[in-house]
Amino acid sequence: MDDATKRLLQRLVRRIPTQILRTTLDKWGRLTAAQKQSIDFTQPKWALTERLLAVCEENEWTVKHITELEMIYVIDNPNQGMWYAFQLLDPEDDACSVELTQFKEQFKSHLSELVRPVSVKIKKHTDEAVWIRIAWGDSFSRPNHLKPTYVVHHLQTPYVFVTSLTSKQKPLLSQALVLSTRYQAIKDANLSGRKLTAIRDLLMRQYQQVFPTNYPSPLAERNQTVSNPLIEKEQAQPAANRLQMACEAFGDGVLPQLQSAVYKLETKFRDYTNKTMTEREEPFRCHVKFASTNLLESLRHCASSGIASTPVTPLLSSIPLKGRNYFVITDNGPGPSSQTHQP
Amino acid sequence: MTSDARSEKKRETETGPEGIDRIEIRLDLFTNVNWTRMSLLKPFSRLPGLNTASILLVENEEQFQQSLADALVEETAVTVNVRLAKSLPLPMKNEEGRPRIDLVVFIINLTSELSFQSAEASLKYLDPGYFLGKVCFMVTNARNASVPTERLDTVRKLAASLHCPLLFAEDQTPDGVANATERLLTILKVAAGLVPMATALYLSNLTRCTVPPDIDQPSFD
Repeated sequence: MDDATKRLLQRLVRRIPTQILRTTLDKWGRLTAAQKQSIDFTQPKWALTERLLAVCEENEWTVKHITELEMIYVIDNPNQGMWYAFQLLDPEDDACSVELTQFKEQFKSHLSELVRPVSVKIKKHTDEAVWIRIAWGDSFSRPNHLKPTYVVHHLQTPYVFVTSLTSKQKPLLSQALVLSTRYQAIKDANLSGRKLTAIRDLLMRQYQQVFPTNYPSPLAERNQTVSNPLIEKEQAQPAANRLQMACEAFGDGVLPQLQSAVYKLETKFRDYTNKTMTEREEPFRCHVKFASTNLLESLRHCASSGIASTPVTPLLSSIPLKGRNYFVITDNGPGPSSQTHQP
Repeated sequence: MTSDARSEKKRETETGPEGIDRIEIRLDLFTNVNWTRMSLLKPFSRLPGLNTASILLVENEEQFQQSLADALVEETAVTVNVRLAKSLPLPMKNEEGRPRIDLVVFIINLTSELSFQSAEASLKYLDPGYFLGKVCFMVTNARNASVPTERLDTVRKLAASLHCPLLFAEDQTPDGVANATERLLTILKVAAGLVPMATALYLSNLTRCTVPPDIDQPSFD
């Protein structure tokens, strides 16, 4: 068993927490029953690693097998690392009829034409997502399996999610994706986050939406915690209105967990008490970042409790509406970003 | 409107055992406000209920007031009506169904500047008659290290200038809530006229907030 395989397995076992390691190995299914019995998961990590290396030697696993294991782990635990969303533009006529086998063949062949050598693994997950693992090599070296790029694409949607991609690899990946999905271009969707499930749910609107209505009573009934007739809220109606507007802007129930929203301001400085700054020709550059463990939840709470004025300003409501969390604001209004978000 | 307000500057004389001879109400808070008389909350605009006391809790965050309300209604000797509001003025359409409010409590969270500003802005919407012992300030998070000392001093000065009591409460534990409820009930019963030989004005003289003369001196920390 060569060094590369050994190192890859060591890295992988170190990365995976012990509990999850057990379920992942079971799912993988390449261990015999006897081997499974012989592994004691209560040992410290280093002992586990030694044992697994020994099993690896026994079964003569290659890098190919270890990457399978890694892929199973990443697919089951996608909410790690930084994921970036991309959007495909201008579909050709047959873009909606691209199906799995065709996409797989096309993607592999296009990518190998652009980069040689490259190791590509494609797997279709149960929820219609196609997972692609790419290990990049160049004319001097073999594919580097220690720094793979993961790509998730939902067929028949224009969305692609990518993690661990360098700026050199980006144009190559973009080219391969565009050609294999039968679109004409790909652009940065300006949405990034630690949780793949969150940014996917946000873009594809898979959370509970609230629509404007003249009769919002279902919401008011749900919020009636006061049952005692002696207690009465004087301003229940304005509170219900604020809650309704906040939910219309951000959604109801559990919201996708975004970690941050960044606004890049390139507007002229406007404060009439400060002459020197206002007289400058160049726009005032300012970077505003909102960070939270669950940003959309915090913003919704700000609106419903009255801290942020309602109706919710379009600057905040465009986060879920447009599915982005990176905005560049110029004097002509919020526009497409002039710089793409660096992966 | 403003001239009316200024002409209402009252001076009442009352002699009691403690020998107070003058009470002056600060009405400069009511100048420069353009409102109709109707949006003021008035203390004696309707008849009281039998063995009933009504309290209005005003809090910007709308958190502590809920747990206080749940504890206040458990009082058995008196029927306590609790009204909750985020700020004043109160909506006009509730005016018919609203009982006579005996005590208005402003709950200020010291960790939030907005909380204090909202309470201060709400003061304008109370009829001056309330400040004769029917208003009380309740402050939370006074022990929190992140609270700037100036804020507590400002609240103290405000309460002292209005001759109102200032209560400190702990809102995170059930014991703290029970404690605050007990103190509020004591003042509420007097303000509702349910305690013989004691009036709200009398009680407020005993319990009102005072500022130490050296409040503007830097403190030793």
